Amino acid sequence: MPIKALVFICLTTFVAGASPSNPPETIPEIRFANHRFSPQTLLVQAGQPLQIKVVNSSREKIEFESFSLNREKVIEPGESITVRLPALRAGSYDFFDDFHDNVPEGVIVAESADSANIQRPTPGNKP
Amino acid sequence: MRTAFANFCSALDVECWMLSVGCWMFVACATCSAQVDPWEFEVYPYSTTPRGIAELETSNAVVARGHDGGGEGTAKGVFPSDKLWYNAYELTYGLTDRIEAALYVTLAQPNGHGLQWAGDKFRLRGRLFDQDVLPVDIGWYIELESHQTPQFDDAVRELELRPIFEKDFGRLSIMANPKFEKVLAGAGHHNGFEFGYVASLHYRWTRRLSPGLEFYGGTGLIDQADPLSTQQHYLFPVIWGELPHGLEYNFGVGCGLTPGSDHLIVKFNLELERFVGAIFKASDQGWFW
Repeated sequence: MPIKALVFICLTTFVAGASPSNPPETIPEIRFANHRFSPQTLLVQAGQPLQIKVVNSSREKIEFESFSLNREKVIEPGESITVRLPALRAGSYDFFDDFHDNVPEGVIVAESADSANIQRPTPGNKP
Repeated sequence: MRTAFANFCSALDVECWMLSVGCWMFVACATCSAQVDPWEFEVYPYSTTPRGIAELETSNAVVARGHDGGGEGTAKGVFPSDKLWYNAYELTYGLTDRIEAALYVTLAQPNGHGLQWAGDKFRLRGRLFDQDVLPVDIGWYIELESHQTPQFDDAVRELELRPIFEKDFGRLSIMANPKFEKVLAGAGHHNGFEFGYVASLHYRWTRRLSPGLEFYGGTGLIDQADPLSTQQHYLFPVIWGELPHGLEYNFGVGCGLTPGSDHLIVKFNLELERFVGAIFKASDQGWFW
């Protein structure tokens, strides 16, 4: 009986979370170089899943981390990672390099679709 | 049809999740009892220790109000649980972006006695895919407990398996680790698997200080639940966050919810992580390694 209950709960858990995810075709990019992230403020569209590419162009290891987004990953020099994010509510979300306290924090700003200030990713930066 | 169904589920996302977790907790409480690991009042998230990082952690739990007889409450051996201090040291290393390995040494100090070695453990833990690829982030956990000393546990060697589930709703993370334990040597090795649970609601408020609720429960054998009165179930309101120099803490006071539980447990976990060098290259876009 407990096993059946567990199977049922696992299945309902999956179904409950089965939301459609259609990431956008272009990927915004954050680049780490010269001991700082660029851009330090990344504008994205709220309300839809997205991916962000983080490129480490420096010669030092970094740990890209966002407390508010619950993301954390080590990036070796010259490597890049892709961070998948769910649909964000409008607001600001921190990110920082957890290996270096003196690197200025950045922020991802999610704005609603009708805002005119959304910074589109650079052309040609397709996944 | 499938899209409509998915949209329906999406609309009910939070509510369904709460219901599922609630059902899960209810079933766990209603059918099981027993295996609570007092050396590790910790809920494992989906994310693993990042590749190349070593993490040293000390887990501490003091039974402020427990039982006076051996084998009751969290005490599985001859010492009473009252005023018992459980102390563990854990060294974890991120093998890849998705798999970590850990070694533990467990100690205990019964009331009126000195600190004594209680056993050791080895663990592999991993996560499947990247975050948000699946509707629910899923991980896995395999642990081998060995050389346990009979004064603290009459099972000599145990295998523990856990699936790990996590789902984030904004700043709220819901985590669940159902536990399946099998005694491989020592008392109870003829029996089947025991069932337990570890779960939490963690809210990310600030990096320094965040609140949470953690749930720990014991379970008897999967096919033979113990009476509810002898089961152990605990609720821990906790605070957690980051201290200067990269130290991370988790502090909580746990209340036993059944007569078989210890009445009051205070836990304090502290961890420090440093990059020591990666053995393997960065993981690709796969699902396991």
